[in-house]
Order: sequence, then structure tokens, then C-alpha cells
Amino acid sequence: MFHLLMQGFQSVFTIQIFPLLVLGVAGGIIIGSLPGLTATMGVAILLPFTFGMSPTAALVMLVGIYIGAIYGGSIAAILLRTPGTPAAAATVNDGNALVRDGKAGVALSMSAIASFTGGLVSTIMLITLSPLLAKFALRFSAPEYFMLAIFGLTIIASISSNNIVKGFIGGFFGLFLATIGMDPVTGFPRFTFGNIQMLNGLSIIPVLIGLFAVAEALIQLEDILKKQESSSKVTNRKLVSFRDVLKVSPTMVKSAFMGTLIGCIPGAGADIAAFISYNEAKRSSKTPGKFGSGHLPGIAAPEAGNNGVTGGALVPLLTLGVPGDAVAAILLGALIIQGIAPGPMLFEKNPEIVYGLFSSMLIGNILMLVIGLTCIRFFSRIVDIPKKLIVPMILILSVVGSFAINNNLFDVFVTLVFGVIGYFLVKAEIPQSPIVLALILGPMAESNLRKSILMYEGSWSFLYTRPITIAFIVLSVFSLVTSMRMKKSSPSPADG
Amino acid sequence: MKKIISLLSVFAILTTAVFAEGTQDAAAYPTKSINLIVPFSAGGGTDAVARALAKSAEKYLGQSIVVLNKTGGSGAVGMTAGATSTPDGYTVTMITREIVSLPLMGLAQITPDDFDLIRLANMDPALLCVKEDSPYENIQQLVEAARADDGGIRFASTAKPNFYILALENNQGISFNQIPFNGAAEAIPSVIGGHTDFTIAGPGELIAQIEGKQLRPLAIMAPERIKALPDVPTFKEEGYDVVSGTWRGLAVPKGTPEAIKTKLEDAFAKAIADPEFVSFMENAKLGIYDLSSEDFREYINSDTAVITDIVSKL
Repeated sequence: MFHLLMQGFQSVFTIQIFPLLVLGVAGGIIIGSLPGLTATMGVAILLPFTFGMSPTAALVMLVGIYIGAIYGGSIAAILLRTPGTPAAAATVNDGNALVRDGKAGVALSMSAIASFTGGLVSTIMLITLSPLLAKFALRFSAPEYFMLAIFGLTIIASISSNNIVKGFIGGFFGLFLATIGMDPVTGFPRFTFGNIQMLNGLSIIPVLIGLFAVAEALIQLEDILKKQESSSKVTNRKLVSFRDVLKVSPTMVKSAFMGTLIGCIPGAGADIAAFISYNEAKRSSKTPGKFGSGHLPGIAAPEAGNNGVTGGALVPLLTLGVPGDAVAAILLGALIIQGIAPGPMLFEKNPEIVYGLFSSMLIGNILMLVIGLTCIRFFSRIVDIPKKLIVPMILILSVVGSFAINNNLFDVFVTLVFGVIGYFLVKAEIPQSPIVLALILGPMAESNLRKSILMYEGSWSFLYTRPITIAFIVLSVFSLVTSMRMKKSSPSPADG
Repeated sequence: MKKIISLLSVFAILTTAVFAEGTQDAAAYPTKSINLIVPFSAGGGTDAVARALAKSAEKYLGQSIVVLNKTGGSGAVGMTAGATSTPDGYTVTMITREIVSLPLMGLAQITPDDFDLIRLANMDPALLCVKEDSPYENIQQLVEAARADDGGIRFASTAKPNFYILALENNQGISFNQIPFNGAAEAIPSVIGGHTDFTIAGPGELIAQIEGKQLRPLAIMAPERIKALPDVPTFKEEGYDVVSGTWRGLAVPKGTPEAIKTKLEDAFAKAIADPEFVSFMENAKLGIYDLSSEDFREYINSDTAVITDIVSKL
């Protein structure tokens, strides 16, 4: 294996391939940082350009974009409160709190280091443990997915511990939105008002852009009209200290580990991993009350978690021939177009491609760290741009981004409508993250509950006869109880 | 007078411009790049066929073809956009079996009659697979097991409603326990993990698992055995008159000028026969099924009859 990996490194460090990796990572960071442009989209857009390349070159570039974009998502989330990807939604609160405190450099460098750690740990696990991880993924069936979703939903209590009732209002609103579209079992259209655009439900990204980016732009617009200047302090470009990094490193490694496990289950991706990692960091923290107000683990955990998915998502692709998430699905398409069937035979038939992929992921993560850290000086200047310029920029990017996802004008309307809804939610101090989380997890919970009942022919015994399901039930109860306790023990902080 | 002359000359220039454009449309077509609408997302089977076909057809049309993934509504959004675009030959749509099934189920306002057909390119017969160590040795054993245990055998469905399984169920008067998944990517692991008993999908989606000895094919819903899997019997050979599969073809909005349609059909016929396209389809285990526009219409009509029958029994 070591020998093959060395060959992989050699194939990446060539004049034809290395520039593509740099280009991919840098392009990915830019794509991820723009609201509406996600890792999935970046990879999909650049897919046609890879048709003329060699299979290794094509994969290297696409993987570079993937790694870069998941990290890039945190940049806009931190600086502008506009998460570029759903996976960065969990980073918004702590990241932006630091920026308002004038510590943009600290927040951005923490995110880059955490993303790097997540990606690295995950890639090493992919290289060494993929057969084992595949066995774990195969034990997941509908009952396990259902309880994973329920566990995920209990996180709403923890991400809104300042006001659990308002968090639940958001959560239930999100769950309601999740019921829009075709019934997952019978295909019967619900709440679609006869509109074919709504048959597949609301796309998550237009809703996300609306709730965060457009709403934030509207609030800033209001400030401009009222001639209020922002209270944020002068931006300090100092990076996070080595001591602080050491302090959060256990959190990062733990999150990376969880991200990899979640990534290798087909159908659960970076967004879920980020929220679960955040929740776990907060649960196990000695100072849970600090989360939400610029606490470093509040950035490190979700960012290590969501980049942890990158390696995990390739496990089912390489061992089973099925994608672990939307990006892996496009990578699978890219391989097929190159005339290569991904799956268990790939290791035997095309080891050079597999190890080229592994080594490009290792190098890609290092590149991401280097590019991320060197560009902080430029990124953090965004905060100094006058609001009069930044607001129209956010609005234009939001509209363009939401259109570009599916080339569908309907998604632009969804974005604008949710922008207005998001504005009023902020005014009512109802947090947006629970809505996004519920919209991601609602369909997962519903369809898998109903699949489970079908599989067990009407019986509910799947809740107590499957070990992983029981483990998730215990975790869910534990998660709820600790967030309730946290609420009691720590009076809600003023800022959140 | 001067005013009238200048007015007349403007009018003359405008009319010649209009007529020039009109004649240019038919004779010189195509003069700019052509959009190909794909109603499913990038990276999927439909997208792969479309991109390979576009690349091949560019050679014969002398213009670039831009692939646009317009997704949503199980293909309804993209196909509706294609059917309602300007019928000038610059918007071609990849239509799939959903153009027949969605309107029959009341899930789309457009029908195949909203399109002028260009060419059918691909047909993938449905392949039934069980887990490698499954107790079912052949398709008879599976069908008999379903007959003995009505609704007890778990079928990992890739779509809802699933026309493949409905065709088999209606033919044999049996029923399976249908567990609906979101596409083959989720259905396949559930079979390999032993959570469901079998699945049905295109050969291209299952070949990796068959080669990797994780899944075992029992039978294929094709009229005759396919080249990619010569050892797998058809349902017909095994005594079940079930033929089903998915298909993908090209169409333009109704009312497109005849000359443009002929040009497009010529180009795509050559593109389908192009060795590069043929080898791509073979590698990806996708079936080439080349039908002229007339035969394509007949094919759609017979598929409409099949699906109408299934939908009426839902």
C-alpha cells in the first residue's frame, strides 16, 4: 500500500497534474465562499472541463474543488453571516461573533486549521480503514437513518439554548417546510398547490440563502437607511495562537472522526456532520455557555466535522460503487464518463487511480491550509468594505446563486420569499439554524420512519431490536437532557 | 417626401432583415450554439448520455452544444421548459420515460405530443439483482417465494411508483413489499447490507457491484439478452412475459421547421453511430437503441399503452 501511495504522490507532483490541484483547491475556496455556489455545484460546473483530461487529472481537480469549497463555505459565514453552503450554517454564530469583536483573523485561521485537520484525519481513515468503514455503513438501514435524524433534531435544543421555545418554533417551521412536495412513499403531492416546481419539495440551498444571506442584507439595508454605523471594532488580522489551537485539538480530532463516520453513510453529508460535531463539542464542554458568543471550539468543531466528511463520502464510492453524498455522485459520474466503473473492483483494476485520488486528497488538504492562511489578509478586508457596497453585492450573488443551482427561476422566488421571512425571524429573535437543520433532517426522518414500518410490516420493533438504533435513542435522550440542564445552570448570555 | 422615402427605406431594410433571418434559419442552421436541456442533475445516467451525445453531435452540426441541467419535479421542470421554448432548433431537450408517466399520473401538464421527436438514442432494460449470498438461485424461486409469502419479500425500489416491479406484479398477480429509496445509490447498499431482498435498476448502475461479487443478477427485462451481461437470462426466457426499461431520446418543441428537424436528426443519427460514442456507451454499460423520429413516436405510443395499463391498476 505504501508503495502504491508513493506512486500516487509521484503522479500528482507532475507538471500536468499539480497545477490542476492548486487551481481546484483555490477555485473551490472561492466557489464555496460565494453564497449559493456550493461544493456540489462547483464540481458539477467543472465536470465537463475534465472530459478531455486523463482520469487521474480529472479526479484530482474535482477533489481539489470539493475540499476547497467545503472550507470556503465558512469564510462568508464568518465574515458576513451568510453561509456559502448548508454545511457552514453551524459556524455562523461563533465565527461572526469574533468578527464583530474585531478578531476576523482569529476566526478565519481557526476555520482553516480545523478544516485541514478534519480533511487530513478523514483522508487517513479513508486510506487505512475503508473496508471497515464500509461494513459500518452497510449496517445502516432505514431504522438507523430514522434515529440518526431524530438525534440530529435534538440538536435544535442545543443550538438555541438561549431560548429553547423560539428554537422549537423555528424547528417546527422547518419540519413543516419539509413536508412540502411528494409523499416519500405514495408520491402524493402535498402543499404544492398544483405547482410542478414544488413536487420535489423546497430545495435546501435557496431557503438557506434566503434565510441567511438575503435576510442579513435586508437588515444591513435597514441600518443604512437609518444611518446607523455598525458597531464592529477595527479589524485585527492577528491569527489564532498556537496555544489555542492545541487547546481545541481534541475537539477537532473528535469532530473529524465523527465527520468521517457520518460521511461514509450514504445520504448523510457535511451539513449534518457540522451540526452534530457542534452539538458534541458543546455537550462535552466545561463552558457550554460560551458557545454562540465567539468561542473557538464553536468554529473548530463544525469545520473539522464538515471537512471530515470529504474522506468518508468516498468510502461507499470506492468500496460499494455508490456515492456517499451529492459531490461523490458527481465524481462517480466523472469516472463513468472516463470509462471507469467505480466500486469494489477499482482497487484491483485501476489502483493508480485510487492512490492518485488518496495522495491528491492529502496534498489538497495541505494546499487548502496554505492558501487559506495566506489569503486571510485579503478575506478579512471584506469586513472593511462599506455596507453600501456589500449589501447589493450580497443580493446579486444571492439571486445569481439561487438561479444557478438548477437553472430554475422558481428558486430565485424561494430565495427572496425566505429572505423576507428571515428578516422577520431575526427581528423576532427566532434563530435560523433550527429551520435549516429541520429542513435537512425532516425528509430524512419521515421517509426512513415510513420505510422502517414497511420493512417491519407494521411493527415498531425496529426501535428496540437493532443495536445502532438503540444507541441513537440513548444519545437523543442524553442530548436533550444535557441541553435542558445547560439552560438551567447557566443564565442565558446577553449576546447570541 | 424626404420623410416618406426614409421611412420606406427603413421599412425595406427591416423587412429584408426579417426575411433574411427567416431564410437563414432554415438553410444556414445552425448559426450559433445549441442548448441541450437535461431534466436531471449532472453526474446521473441521463446527464452522462446527454453529454456524450452532445460531444459527438458537435462534430456533425459544426456548432457547440451547451448542456443545461434543469432539474426538479422528477424531470417535469426541465421537460416543460424544453417543450415551451422557441421552436427554432436552438433548444433541444433530452426526454426520458417520465414524459410518458408523469402526465398519466397527473404530475405534469405536458405530454409527448408537445414535442416533435428527433431521435431515440438509448434504452436500458431493467435488471433484477439479489445479494451475492441470497437463497434465490433464479427468478422462478423469487417469484414463487413471493407467491407463497404475499407481500413478504422486500423490494428496494429506486423510484415511486416503480414501473418495473408493477409490470412483474401485474403479470404474475403477486405483490412485493416495496420499500421506496431515492435512486439506485440508496437502494443498492440496502440490498448488499441485507436489509432488503432485491432491487431492479439499469445494468450501468449495477455492473460495479456484480463484478465486485456483491450483487448477483437473476434476470433482465429485455427482449433479448444484452451484450454486457451475456449470461443473464431474460424474463421471457424464464417464462414471464415482462419487458421493461428506461429510455432517453431527443426532441424539440412542436412547430419546429421541417428543414431544421431533418438537419438535427441527420446529425444525431451520425452522432449515435460515432465510434467514440459507441465505445463510451459500452464502457458505461448503457444500451444504444437508435430509432428514427417516426419509429420513436411509435415506440412512445406503445410505451404509453403499457404505462396507462399500469397506472390504471395503481
